[in-house]
Amino acid sequence: MLSENEIKILSYLKLKKKANAEEISKELGLPLSSIFSLAKLLEEKGYVKIGERKIIRFELTEEGKKRLKEGFPEEILLKELNGQPSLIEDLKNKMGKDLEIAISWARKKNLVKIDQNRVIPNTSNYTFSTEKEALLKPESADEKVLQELLSRKLITRKEESKLEITLLKEEFEEQNYITQLTSELLRSKDWKKYKIREYNVEALPPYFPLAKKHFFRDFIEKLKDVMKELGFTEVNAGYIEMELYNFDLLFQAQDHPAREIHDSFRVDGLGKIDDERLLKEIKEMHEKGWKYSWDPQIAKRLVLRSQTTAVTARILSSRPSVPFKGFSLGKVFRPDSIDATHLIEFHQLDGVIIQKEFSFTDLLGILREIFYKIGIKEIKFKPGYFPFTEPSVEVYGKIEGLGWVEMSGAGLLRPEILKAMDIDANAGAWGIGIDRLAMLLFGLKDIRLLYANDIDFLRKMKVRL
Amino acid sequence: MPTIVSYKWTLINNLKISDNQLEELLFKLKSEVKPIDADHVEIEVNNDRPDLFFPYGIIRAAKGILGKELGEPKYDIKQSVYSFEVKEVKSRPYAVAGIVKDIKLDDESLRELIQFQEKLHITVGRKRKKVAIGIHDLDKITSTKIYYKPLPLDYKFIPLNQSKLMTIKEVIEQTPQGREYGNISIYDGLSPAIVEENGDVLSIPPIINSDKTRIDEKTRNIFIDVTGTSFEAVSSTLDILVTDLAEMGGKIELLNFISPSKFEFSPLLRRYTVSVSANYISKNLGINLSLNEIEKYLRMARFDTKVLNDVVEVTVPPYRVDILSQIDLVEEIAMTIGYDKLSPKDYTIKATGKLSAETELIRTLRDLSIGAGFSEIFTFILSNDKRLRNEYVSIVNPVTVEYNAVRNSLIPTLLNFLKYNQHAIMPVYVFEIGDVVIKDKRTDTGYKNSLRAVYGIMNSKVNYEDLQSRVHQILMSLDIEPTYKTYLDDMFIPGRGAKIIDTSKSVEIGVIGEINPVLLEELEIEFPVVISEIYLDSLVKR
Repeated sequence: MLSENEIKILSYLKLKKKANAEEISKELGLPLSSIFSLAKLLEEKGYVKIGERKIIRFELTEEGKKRLKEGFPEEILLKELNGQPSLIEDLKNKMGKDLEIAISWARKKNLVKIDQNRVIPNTSNYTFSTEKEALLKPESADEKVLQELLSRKLITRKEESKLEITLLKEEFEEQNYITQLTSELLRSKDWKKYKIREYNVEALPPYFPLAKKHFFRDFIEKLKDVMKELGFTEVNAGYIEMELYNFDLLFQAQDHPAREIHDSFRVDGLGKIDDERLLKEIKEMHEKGWKYSWDPQIAKRLVLRSQTTAVTARILSSRPSVPFKGFSLGKVFRPDSIDATHLIEFHQLDGVIIQKEFSFTDLLGILREIFYKIGIKEIKFKPGYFPFTEPSVEVYGKIEGLGWVEMSGAGLLRPEILKAMDIDANAGAWGIGIDRLAMLLFGLKDIRLLYANDIDFLRKMKVRL
Repeated sequence: MPTIVSYKWTLINNLKISDNQLEELLFKLKSEVKPIDADHVEIEVNNDRPDLFFPYGIIRAAKGILGKELGEPKYDIKQSVYSFEVKEVKSRPYAVAGIVKDIKLDDESLRELIQFQEKLHITVGRKRKKVAIGIHDLDKITSTKIYYKPLPLDYKFIPLNQSKLMTIKEVIEQTPQGREYGNISIYDGLSPAIVEENGDVLSIPPIINSDKTRIDEKTRNIFIDVTGTSFEAVSSTLDILVTDLAEMGGKIELLNFISPSKFEFSPLLRRYTVSVSANYISKNLGINLSLNEIEKYLRMARFDTKVLNDVVEVTVPPYRVDILSQIDLVEEIAMTIGYDKLSPKDYTIKATGKLSAETELIRTLRDLSIGAGFSEIFTFILSNDKRLRNEYVSIVNPVTVEYNAVRNSLIPTLLNFLKYNQHAIMPVYVFEIGDVVIKDKRTDTGYKNSLRAVYGIMNSKVNYEDLQSRVHQILMSLDIEPTYKTYLDDMFIPGRGAKIIDTSKSVEIGVIGEINPVLLEELEIEFPVVISEIYLDSLVKR
């Protein structure tokens, strides 16, 4: 099958039988490079023969152009002599360095002779028409004259090979093809005059940068849906938090090792606590429970929250009406060395359920449900310790190929906290580290890939159903 | 959580169990065990159970769970001939002392005892700030009268592992312990000290003991001093030490205690009672247990119990510092039953939940952004402050300069992302939705999270309209009518940056523009970039 351009070339050759590539390029308005490749295709299909023809081209040099205009040096010499002998000395003054060339060529052509210091002309009516004609039309010049001009560098000679394309087959399908159906063709109904070219539909396509949601963001949204389905209301708070909510309200003693500077990121400044009753109750709780003098100034210090339980603490301090079921999913910050399994900022999912009747086994039931919905079908419980819960439990989930992995800390909120917040009910709370979990579920070897600065990685990431 | 290294055979032989059973047992005690070599295991113990920092404490608890011994163990306690007098020591006013006789030490148990002391120092002792412990060979103490009192800094003694007399001042200046702990004990030119009647120093807590009373494998009788800033903490720490040593076979002896406190003997070995009803247990645990069952489980947890009417009266042993109230007994019962034996209750959903207005907006915006052809990226909240402009929150104690501030805009993080993706197949269309932190006087912390969206296009050729057309349609879809006002800012090419205004509310809701080549060059980005940041706070539908 012939392409549109192949047909154009064949049609042209039908008139000329034979043509060179440059000519076809010029006539058909196609780039020379396409003519070469098209001609090759036509040759393969047996429509044309490509022959190479050597062409000799002469070109006038700058010197040649000058001589054509001003005359040859020996011509000028003859004019200067005007039939009379002249002293070389005088001629030199008039002609400069051209004189040497002039004398040399004039002697070769037997136009002058030298006698001691004089130039004597042999003739006065020599015409230079042969040489000049040869300069203008080197192709048809006498070989001897041509050699002279070449040796005098008045012209140059170049050999070029040209592709000559000869038509072999006169018959070809003259049906026109189009590659693209256009609105214009449809409107004009001209499409009927053409055939639409076939594609190699089996070839793989070029790359397309598909817009995609981020896989880890999707996972986070999925977790929020799980919590919503389980009847929980989403609550959020800021990253900058007072130690009051990050620690004190959660019954973490002010000299507790977890509150040391290397365990949370500090921010300059102090927060404000207007709720005097809250301060009084927390002071009482700490001094009675841990037997030391509680300092409200420490509670006002600012940190980047190190646990989303700080949001739970804010919920509690707002003395919510019972029953209440809330969750918070967001970033927390902890100093650590950053490596394949550790980040200094990561997500936690904290939940709290406040209910008149709520027991430890109710809590275990909720945890089982949450993990089942996340896709962790097998879990086990281990006793644990957290300052703000009792009984406390650590949840381990089974990950294929890895075994049991710690996934969550949970427990019933200590009665001391509930009492301080005036909440007459039981409460369960838990925190789940999200990033490590996502890393395991997505099968990533490096936790930093959750935040990869690499669009290729994101573009290649498969979507999980 | 503290980890201790224990000689495995002490545990195995005393409990008569296998390796596997040991692991299971410790799991039930909130602990995890890992083998180190054929003879040693590493045990991770929880902070709230300092009595388990010594293998014999673990053995005591494990025997209960195995049902080998129930209730609180009874240790023989005798009155000794020694006395301990506490004088006024301003920097660390509290001190107690105890004696344990007839202990048998070998190199393993000596190492475990020193490890016990160290773990107590770090945890309950808050790195010796709150509590410091001195353990001495009683037989090397000359007099029966021992004092806790301040000594001047030119007082001399031979500190542990030294061969010559040194002044306290020299100890503080020249020994590693002195340099580390000297600053928490010296007050008014005086150092706390445990001293014999003859003036011999036993220790200068919390820094160092004397060489005179050092313990070794041959030590059979020991004297322990515990000093610090909290009476509760020092007395309970001593109780934990002497009872764990008693579990090892030692005999506790009391000293006459002369102090401002009401107590006549030291160690105090204080017990108290907590009453718990069957109703309370079932309410919190969610399972019904009879008073007899409750008693059984609590005795397995090594508590002495007594049934009084409808409650169980529980005596808390001196070493159980983690029992604050009856809820702690609920956990004891749960642990003794075994968490694996508790059946989780089926969860029934009674009310529908709700996502926050922010989440709803984020989800809508993610869909629109994908529709506009942008790929979502997810970057860190923490940033290098060099990349941030205007006001931002600095971290006082960053771990690396790369993350020493909290981002106040999503533009720097997006530019940083683009910088690392110049090798990618162009064009790069990306967006991110996330929180930044800005100052806000109206909040109690003085700061607030602000929700933002950022869009960026990087290509070999890209212009303002390429992005504006897309962002415009996204905003229109959110029922916002945006108008654009020329905005001169170093970040943008002059005349190619604008503020985006929510026309109906006359609120500025973002910026958009072609990034200035000066900035691109600074960031080493060799492609033109257009960026728009949208402030979402006013768009959240509450």
